[in-house]
Amino acid sequence: MTINPYHDKRLQWVAYAIFFALLALVPILLDDAFLLNQLSTFGVYGILALSLSLCWGFGGILNLGQGIAFGLGAYGMAMTMQMQSQDIDTNPIPPFMLNNALESLPMIWEPFWNTGTGIFLAVAIPTLYCLIFGALMFQARVSGPFFAIMTLAMLSAFYTVFIDLQPYTNGVNGISPPMPLEVGSLVVDPYSTTSYWIVYAVLLLSTVVAKLLTQSKFGLIVRAQNNDPERVRFLGYNVAVYETLIYAISGCMAALAGMCFTFLTQYVSPSQFDVGFSISIVIWAAIGGRGSLLWAIMGAFIVQGAQSYLGDEFLNTWILILGFFFILVVRFLPGGLAGLVELILGKLPNMSKQQKSPGEKPVDKASLKEA
Amino acid sequence: MAGVLEIQNLQKNFDAVKVINDFSMDVIELTLCCLVGPNGAGKTTTMDLITGRQKPTSGSVTFRGHVITGENEQMIARRGLGRKFQIPAVFRELTVRQNLEVAYSHEVNALKNIFSFSSRQCDARIDEVAEQVGLQERLAVIAGTLSHGETQWLEIGMVLMQDPALLLLDEPVAGMTEQEIEKTADILNTMKKTKTLIVVEHDMGFVREIADIVTVMHMGSLLAQGTIQEIETNQQVRDVYLGTEDH
Repeated sequence: MTINPYHDKRLQWVAYAIFFALLALVPILLDDAFLLNQLSTFGVYGILALSLSLCWGFGGILNLGQGIAFGLGAYGMAMTMQMQSQDIDTNPIPPFMLNNALESLPMIWEPFWNTGTGIFLAVAIPTLYCLIFGALMFQARVSGPFFAIMTLAMLSAFYTVFIDLQPYTNGVNGISPPMPLEVGSLVVDPYSTTSYWIVYAVLLLSTVVAKLLTQSKFGLIVRAQNNDPERVRFLGYNVAVYETLIYAISGCMAALAGMCFTFLTQYVSPSQFDVGFSISIVIWAAIGGRGSLLWAIMGAFIVQGAQSYLGDEFLNTWILILGFFFILVVRFLPGGLAGLVELILGKLPNMSKQQKSPGEKPVDKASLKEA
Repeated sequence: MAGVLEIQNLQKNFDAVKVINDFSMDVIELTLCCLVGPNGAGKTTTMDLITGRQKPTSGSVTFRGHVITGENEQMIARRGLGRKFQIPAVFRELTVRQNLEVAYSHEVNALKNIFSFSSRQCDARIDEVAEQVGLQERLAVIAGTLSHGETQWLEIGMVLMQDPALLLLDEPVAGMTEQEIEKTADILNTMKKTKTLIVVEHDMGFVREIADIVTVMHMGSLLAQGTIQEIETNQQVRDVYLGTEDH
């Protein structure tokens, strides 16, 4: 009996180890604070692409509103950071609230006095939202494009609400905490290696959790329900529970990404809930390859990297170029770049053992050199 | 021997059309009951009503003393009813082994399954079932690339992995070659030593090889029930059903 190396769990772990070893070299080799901050932001996008790959690529749940969990996490962190620079006795109310004629701190802001509670809420609230929204939708067997449209509708609702609640959220201006995040004695300066390592740790942790999930029995059932939910039901599984959980885990990761984003930029605004932003998460995952966690992350790096360096050259046409590549991928490479690598390796005559390993480029490269 | 499944006065209406009309039947433990009838007789709908895919308008289905009408698919499946679909339903993107692994549904709790990676009982059971349905050489293959016959066997294998007390098989030999039909008959004849089976089938030759009891449906109602000899000599059955075939 032959074993396809694509399903060789040990080989996949090796590929991921090499990827993260390379990322760990970045702050050691790099001595440019601005660039480090930018790369950290890319890491945040990587977490987002990973979270969508988990939900969409493996679970078949197209979430066009991943920005909701991201935005809620980002706002939670911004509120925590804002309250760090307020004083409970002399100056308890953030300046923008005073400008909006609020005379006392709103109830929903109170828990954010405490950094620990604030950070907990920043991740717990979006996760809870996903659990409730997911349970409502999936129990009613809303799926496919209908679910995608519902997430899009919710995203627009959040966008509007966060603008409308100006006294509480500062509307379109958003919240810009004056000081970097402080956790205990640790100051998370956005331009320091500290913040890079935090993002790195979150990306690593999310990836390991996601990878373990896909290799567990749970992950197998999630993939099976993506193929044929009805069949899974007739085997005795409650499909809605599986869908809700994978959707909420994905949302939790997006919330963590949002929190990282805020301490990296010291700014949050309703543009986190912008439809365009959530769509770009879909594009990252699609171009990288939504079926491969590693390639989804790479997709975010590649697209955002290209936007940063080529976007300036092309200015307004960049979005058109991106759209063109997106159409190319959808039409000719449904597996994204991961699928392309799979195709190329499959054509190499002596590489037949490696041919089905889209998530394992580093390993394949290494073995190519040896060969 | 007690009836493992009792269907009483089952009724299913789609608007004014009575698809299932006052249908009752008892299935005896460790027998293989074939459900036959012309197209539109309501065989597949009966399967749907038993397994919870559709809810009956009235009447009840009792499985091992529990009334299961009104329960949803997964609850009924957990009680020990396995089903093979008319159009083979396997997970086409997963390997044969993974298909069987998913079907090993002894633990359905999602939270527990998050921390479950491999199970020796499951692997042992996969080997056992794969041998039973003759797919032991094909475990690493992606299910979407299997031949039609193999796909049918895989789905039978999946139902076996579930280890149900009662198996409902909807047209297990549809589209199979003569040899494949023979092999399937062998599989089913082995299975009925330890399981109760209901098989929906059109192919009377196949029914003759496997059935202990034959139930004939017509227009959503029970037309006749008995051994294959009794059914084949039943004039009423010949009129509505067998007469139209080459017998």
